[in-house]
Amino acid sequence: MIKYALQRLGLLVVGLVVASVLIFVTLRVLPGDAAQLIAGTKAPPEQVEALRESLGLNKPLLSQYADWIAGIFRGDLGSSVWTGSPVAEQLIEKAEVTVPLAVMSMVIAMAIALPFGVYSALRRGRADGTALSIGSQVIAAIPVVWAGMMLVVVFAVWLDWLPAQGFPRSGWDDPSRAFLALVLPAITIGAVEGAMLLRFVRSATLSAMGQDYVRTAAAKGLTRRAALIRHGLPSVGLSIISILGLQFAGIVVGAVVIEQLFTLPGIGRMLVTDVAQRDMPKVQGELLAITAIVLIIGFVVDMVHRIIDPRQREAE
Amino acid sequence: MLRRSALTVSAIVAGALVLSACTSSTSPDPSASGSVDADASVGIRLALPPGNLDVRQTGGVTLDQILIDNVYEGLVSRTPEGEIVPNLATDFEVSADGLTYTFTLTEGVTFHDGQELTPADVVWSLQTRKDTAEFSDSERLAGVTDITAEGQVITLTLGTPDTSLLWNLTGRAGLIFKKDDKVDYKIAANGTGPFSLGVWKQGDSVTLLRNEDYWGEKAKVAEVAFVIIGDNQAAMNAAAAGEIDIITGFDANMTANIEESGDFSVQVGSATDKSVLAMNPTAGKLADKRVRQAIRMAIDHDSIIAAQASGQTLFGPIPQPDPGYEDLSSVISHDVAGAKALLAEAGAENLELTLTIPSEYGTTLPQILVSDLAEAGINLTVEPVDFGTWITDVYSNKDYELSVVNHAEPRDFENWANPEYYFLYDNPEVQRLYAESLAQTDQAASDALLAEAARLVSEDHAADWLYNWSSVVAVATNVTGVPSDNVNSRLDLAELAKTE
Repeated sequence: MIKYALQRLGLLVVGLVVASVLIFVTLRVLPGDAAQLIAGTKAPPEQVEALRESLGLNKPLLSQYADWIAGIFRGDLGSSVWTGSPVAEQLIEKAEVTVPLAVMSMVIAMAIALPFGVYSALRRGRADGTALSIGSQVIAAIPVVWAGMMLVVVFAVWLDWLPAQGFPRSGWDDPSRAFLALVLPAITIGAVEGAMLLRFVRSATLSAMGQDYVRTAAAKGLTRRAALIRHGLPSVGLSIISILGLQFAGIVVGAVVIEQLFTLPGIGRMLVTDVAQRDMPKVQGELLAITAIVLIIGFVVDMVHRIIDPRQREAE
Repeated sequence: MLRRSALTVSAIVAGALVLSACTSSTSPDPSASGSVDADASVGIRLALPPGNLDVRQTGGVTLDQILIDNVYEGLVSRTPEGEIVPNLATDFEVSADGLTYTFTLTEGVTFHDGQELTPADVVWSLQTRKDTAEFSDSERLAGVTDITAEGQVITLTLGTPDTSLLWNLTGRAGLIFKKDDKVDYKIAANGTGPFSLGVWKQGDSVTLLRNEDYWGEKAKVAEVAFVIIGDNQAAMNAAAAGEIDIITGFDANMTANIEESGDFSVQVGSATDKSVLAMNPTAGKLADKRVRQAIRMAIDHDSIIAAQASGQTLFGPIPQPDPGYEDLSSVISHDVAGAKALLAEAGAENLELTLTIPSEYGTTLPQILVSDLAEAGINLTVEPVDFGTWITDVYSNKDYELSVVNHAEPRDFENWANPEYYFLYDNPEVQRLYAESLAQTDQAASDALLAEAARLVSEDHAADWLYNWSSVVAVATNVTGVPSDNVNSRLDLAELAKTE
C-alpha cells in the first residue's frame, strides 16, 4: 500500500514537472508580448523597449523559467506583469465563483447520471432504456456553448426565471442572487458532463449485472434488481470514483467556456483575459495551479479507490 | 480560440433574437422626471477590461474613459465637443509668440487621501511625465524646455510654438499626481477628481465613489460601477435585468430592441474613431498607388455604414470632430469598373491579398470587404487574429498586407507623419506640413496646413478609411448627464445623475 502510494506520488511529481515545462514553452510560442500591449498603439518603439526592460521581459527564457520554479519552491506562484498582484491572491478571489460553479455542476452531473444510468441499464432492450441511452449520447455530443445559449434563450429570455448572465458585484454578500446567477451555468456544464457520465454508469451497471456474484444472488432467489442493488452497486460506485478525476478536468474545461458565455468573474474568464493580455507569468501560475489541483484530485481518488476496493489491495 | 467561438455563437443567437434591424439617427436626450437620487449607483458597461490602472503608461481608451476627468485631473480639460477649458487651473494664458504658457493653479484642492495639491506637485507631474520614456505621451511634452512655479503660477516654456500643447495637456500628458506619492498606480489611484477609486475587481468591474471633499461641484451620484461585458447581447441582458444603466459601444443595429421597453434610449453623437484599412506600401503590388486606389474604389462605403447602422463615411485621415477636417469625398468614389481598369493597367489582375484583423471586430466588416474586392477581381483572404497577435505581427513587425483596426484616439494625424509607424507611409511633404502646422501660433493657419497634409495622404491612397464611427450609447431613461460626443475615448461623469 505504502509502496503504491509512493509510486503514485512520484507519478504526480513527474506529471507536474512535465506540465510546468509544457505550459512555459507553449505560452512562449504565442505571438505578442505584454509590454507591447500595455504600451498600446500610440507608443513609439523606445517606450515599448523601456517597458519591456523594466518588466523583466527581456531576460533569457531559461532564467525566466528558473525564476518561476524557484518561486514555486518558496510557495510563490508568481505575479501579474500588468498589476504586480500575486497569482495566488487572484486565484482565491476568482475561486468564489468557479469553485461553487464546479461543485454545483458536479452535483447536477451526478444527479442525472446515477439514477438514469442505472435505470437505462436495467431497462436495456426496452424502449425507454434505449431512448435514454440514445438521448444521453446526443446530449453528450452537444457543444457546451450551444447548450448554454439554448438554456439562456429558454430560461432567461422566454421564461425570465433566471439571470442570463453576470454575477452580483456584491458577490456572496447576497447569497440567493449569487446562487441564482450560477444555476444556468451549472446546469449547462452539469447536463453535458452528466450525459457523458450516464453512459459510463450504464456500462458499469451492465458489466456488474453480468458478474458471477450478482448472477449467484439472483439464482438464490433475489430479483435481478435487488441482486444488483445489494451486490452489484458497490462495484459500480467504485468504477465511478475512478473516473471522477477525469470528470473534474472536464468540468474545469467547461468552466472556462461557460464563464465567458455567462460573463462570470471566475478563474476561467480570468485565464482567457490573461492570455489575451499576454500576462504570461500570471497565466503559467494559474495553469500550473489548476493542473496541480486536477492531478492531486486524481491522486486522492486513486488512493481512496485503492483503500475501499478489496480486489485492488489483494492484487498487491 | 475559446473566446472567439463563444463570441461567434452569441453573435448568432443575438442575430436570431434581433427581429428587425432598424437604424436610428435620432439622439433623444433621456428626459427624466422625479427627484435626483443622491445615493444612486450607476452601472456602466465597458467592452474591454483595463489590464491595470496605471494611466501613466498603460495605453488604450478604456483607462481614459474610467480615470481621466473622473479620478485624475489636469490643469486644463476638454468638453465632449473638444473645447479646451480650465480645470485645476483657474485660467491660462498663451503668449503671442506661442512660447510661454502660464496657468494659475486653483487653491484649496486636495487629493483623495487628503494631501493638499501644491504647485510643486504640478511641476513634478509634468516634468516626470516628460522625462520618463515608459510613460504614454511623454513625447508629447518633448517641446517643453522648462517647467517652473512661482506662487500659484505655473509656467511652461517652449523652444518652438506647439499648437497641440494645450490639447495634449487635456489628456494623459497633463494629469496631475501628488509628488513622490507612495501609491501603487497599477492597482490603486490617488487623484483630485470628483470620484475616488473604490474597488477594482480585476477583469470584472471598477467601482468609483463620490469624492465628498471635491474642490468643485460634487458628483450627483454616490457610486459609479464600470462593468466589463464583452458581448453586446449580454450587455443588453444585463441592462434588462437592471444591473447596468449605460451601455457604451452599443450596437446601433439593436436600437429598436432596447428602446422597445421604454426603459432605455439610444444617444448617437460624433466620434473620432476611424476604422483604418491599412495597406502596406512595401508589400508587393501594394507599392503601386494605382492598386491601392483600385482597392479604395472597389469598396462600397455606404454599404459598410448601412451594416453598422451608425457612423459616417470618411475619405481621409482626419475625422470631422478634429481640427484640419475637410470633406475629401471627391478623392475617391465607388467604381468597380474603374477599379478593374486600374488593376489591369498596373498588371495586378487576379491579385491575392491577406487581411489581418483582430477577431473582436466581428465578421460583418471582413465579409463586406471580401465580396467588394472580389467584384474587382481581388481574392481577399481574411486572417482573424487576437489583438495580442495583431499588435506584434502588424503593429510592431509591420508584417502584413492589409489590416483593419479602429483608431479611436482623437488628433492622431502624427501617425501619417511618422514613417516608422505601421502604416509605413513616408511622404516628406506631409511630414513638413505637419511639423509646420504644429509650429503655428494661429489656430486657423495650423488647421489649414493639417488639412493640406491630410489631403495628400488621401490622394496618395495611403490607406482606406472604411468609416468614421459614431458614439452610440444606450442610456436608461432615469439617467441624465451622459455625454453624447466622443464617448468612445472619454467619459466625463461630472453631470451624471439618476432619478428615483
